[in-house]
Amino acid sequence: MLEVNGVTVRYDTATVLDDASLRVEKGELVGLVGPNGAGKSTLLRAIVGLIRWEREVLRGTRQADITFEGDVIFEGERIDELSASDIARRGLVLCPERGRPFVEMTVRDNLLAGAYLCKDRKEVEKNLDRVHELFPRLKEREKQISGTLSGGERQMLCIGRALMRQPKMLLVDEPSSGLAPRLKEDLFKRVEEIYHELGVTILLAEQDVSFAFDLSVRNYVMSRGHIIAHGTAQELLGDETIRKTYLGL
Amino acid sequence: MVEGIIIQGLIKGGTYALLAVGFSLIFGVARMINLSHTCFYMLAAYGIYAFAKMLGMPLIAAAVLSLLATTIIGILTYRLFIDRVREHHVTVMLITLALAMVFQEWMIISFTSEPLGAPSFISGYWEIIGVKVSYQHLLTFGVALAVLICVWALLSKTRLGVAIRATAQDSEIANLMGINVRRILLVTMGMAAVLAAVAGIVVAPTLTLEPRMWTSPLVMIMAIVVLGGLGSVKGSFIGAFIIGFVEVLVVFLMPGGAFLKGAFALLVMVIILLVRPEGLFGIAFEEERL
Ligand SMILES: Nc1ncnc2c1ncn2[C@@H]1O[C@H](COP(=O)(O)OP(=O)(O)O)[C@@H](O)[C@H]1O
Ligand SMILES: [Mg+2]
Repeated sequence: MLEVNGVTVRYDTATVLDDASLRVEKGELVGLVGPNGAGKSTLLRAIVGLIRWEREVLRGTRQADITFEGDVIFEGERIDELSASDIARRGLVLCPERGRPFVEMTVRDNLLAGAYLCKDRKEVEKNLDRVHELFPRLKEREKQISGTLSGGERQMLCIGRALMRQPKMLLVDEPSSGLAPRLKEDLFKRVEEIYHELGVTILLAEQDVSFAFDLSVRNYVMSRGHIIAHGTAQELLGDETIRKTYLGL
Repeated sequence: MVEGIIIQGLIKGGTYALLAVGFSLIFGVARMINLSHTCFYMLAAYGIYAFAKMLGMPLIAAAVLSLLATTIIGILTYRLFIDRVREHHVTVMLITLALAMVFQEWMIISFTSEPLGAPSFISGYWEIIGVKVSYQHLLTFGVALAVLICVWALLSKTRLGVAIRATAQDSEIANLMGINVRRILLVTMGMAAVLAAVAGIVVAPTLTLEPRMWTSPLVMIMAIVVLGGLGSVKGSFIGAFIIGFVEVLVVFLMPGGAFLKGAFALLVMVIILLVRPEGLFGIAFEEERL
């Protein structure tokens, strides 16, 4: 469903992502694990077109010296030349790091923003009900300004907002970062539900290896901009060097 | 006299609100300070004069035509001159200032620098609580209010409104919702031009037209937008009435000192900002970004 071939991202001279390749088949939940700074977020942002967006926004400034190489194929078509909003229109949706709600808008308006592409009001209401079912907390906080939400609630809102558009595939960037263990577990249960019940293909970037391995079919391990290993949780845990050096287990 | 102040203040405030809300929308959505914003107000006012008085068209037709022409000019200038540099805020200010000068010179060439008067839409007056209010003034206020209510409804109730607000808060993330940010910027520019043009059209008959008529309202709406809280549409709306009333009060209470009205309005802005540096409705959340 998603194929990333040799993607390289360079900020000025710093190579943040070096020749990264991966594949996700339809119906899979694939983990992307690696320590802080490994390049997970950069890879996800590259896939959804945000690196090029960043370059365009910064055009004319020094920081605009961003190189993007390689190709990204979604459902058999190249998307690396498309704008970020066109990629989202195709149903490939990123839940960014730390949730990034529209902070001055209410929880409900954030969800409605997620449903921007859906013009049918009835369908929007239906999706809203479904998201509320998945995250009852979002219903309780419907009228709250989302800038005042806690970290966990922001993550829920972010995933809920992405679901409002009925994505074909979700890229989720560290949904567990900064959450207390109980909240983490709860959030992962929801991710599992989305995967199993809604049948959404998911690429999950995580620092917390144990959680990612619990859910995933396969995993890619990243370190310093490289994808250095790939396999099922058992395979990766079975390899002593990978386990000790890269997973820290 | 109190009634006079109230009525004049509402009219002045309504006009400022039309201008300030558009300015604030552009700032909020694109972080651009558009110094040519009030030129659209001037263009629309001259448009009425040109179409109605010089070409002899019926007033309503002249108004519609002027509105359309001004909006098209607004969108075109955005596409041609601003879009490409929109992320360079100082450049945007310089270019829009240059555009404002161009519009001013254009008006001088076409209409000379002589003060001109546009025809009224309706004549006569109405006595409200003992004050004579001309129908033209009522029309000005009524149209301003109606248009502002439409803008409010659009922003808060519609899909486009949600997209505009989302883009204003985080354009990068707005992309991820499938929102075409560039198109939203263009739509916002268009809306702002419409608002300025409406202000120009309904106010034209109560003013004398002259090619520098864009400068004083520009200073005023910048004060309004800052005191209301940068980027807050609600703040601009309320700020417009505060400044509108201050101006009218100065005129009423200091006969002979009317030329000080601008200075007083700015003083009020300074005082409000000293007490609340973020403005009346500025919100400061800790921004959680990458
Ligand atoms: N805009 C940028 N300019 C320069 N370096 C960046 C930029 N964004 C990220 N990086 C660098 O890229 C590396 C990978 O970052 P990131 O993709 O966020 O890693 P992860 O998500 O795995 O923690 C980090 O070392 C970070 O400093
Ligand atoms: Mg990251």
